[in-house]
Amino acid sequence: MKIEWWILLSAFTVTTGILFFIQKNKIRLALVAFLFKQVITFLMGAVVVEFGLIEYPVRLFASINRTSFTYEYYVLPVICAAFNVWYPTNKSTLIQLSYYVGYSSVLTIIEVIIEEYTALIKYIHWEWYITWITVCFVFFISHLFCIWFFAKEKGRA
Amino acid sequence: MLMERLILVAMWLFGFVGFILFIPRKNRRKGLFAFMMFQSIIWLCDMPAFKYGLLSAPIREFPKATDLALTINYFFYPALFSIFYVHKKVKDGLWSRFAYFFVWVSIITLCDIVIERYTDLLEYGLLTWYGMWIYIGFLFFVSRVCCNWFFKDNTLFHGKQT
Repeated sequence: MKIEWWILLSAFTVTTGILFFIQKNKIRLALVAFLFKQVITFLMGAVVVEFGLIEYPVRLFASINRTSFTYEYYVLPVICAAFNVWYPTNKSTLIQLSYYVGYSSVLTIIEVIIEEYTALIKYIHWEWYITWITVCFVFFISHLFCIWFFAKEKGRA
Repeated sequence: MLMERLILVAMWLFGFVGFILFIPRKNRRKGLFAFMMFQSIIWLCDMPAFKYGLLSAPIREFPKATDLALTINYFFYPALFSIFYVHKKVKDGLWSRFAYFFVWVSIITLCDIVIERYTDLLEYGLLTWYGMWIYIGFLFFVSRVCCNWFFKDNTLFHGKQT
């Protein structure tokens, strides 16, 4: 088996592993973050491939889909769920900011390494910092959405 | 080609208008959650369905990126499902609940068949009309079960902060 398939397999395994660490009382929060992230990646993933910004030479469902199903359907949404579940809500702004920077940086570094050394992803008109900015921004949006979703409605107990 | 484009625009329009008109303000979260849940499930199920030639979408929004029918998968059917989910009656008897489900799935299947027959937006491969009914019924049923699980404990749902 080629290295690319091993990476995909381990991506599935590791992200599934993350799911087991999510506390039972936060499953609903995790699910909302997961689904919300999918809404964004479904569309954006198609757009970046359609306009030739990124290519995924090795991928699942290769015959009908040129986007990265693994990343967009599973890996990124699960990480987004983890992001929201363990978000340091009551900590200082500095800690919250570094939480964002940490998640975005780790994801970007892994993506750049994968881009450089494997055929899983190929930047065409894309740069590492665009990944960083978009990932960070989408985390932010997802966090706002989760806060809104679980906020108690005004006027109701 | 023009007709297909118009239908896609109409789907977005009716989806938006339907969502705003038929989902009461207090059920916004419920509707949105049902929307996202259905989208996730239809995305997952359509991948193998398209791969193994059950159906295909000759005219589509992002022909280079994906062979899936994006408007239908991403927006239109999820929006319909969320209207279905928000308006279902929990307290009704088994029969009326079943009839509600049956009518919704049948009407959507009918639309699907009409779209398949008269436009190039969808093309059934191995799938037949009753196969489509079963497929849509399956998607609705699974999404319904997942949403019911999510909302089963209302106090738990609203009592939690992020």
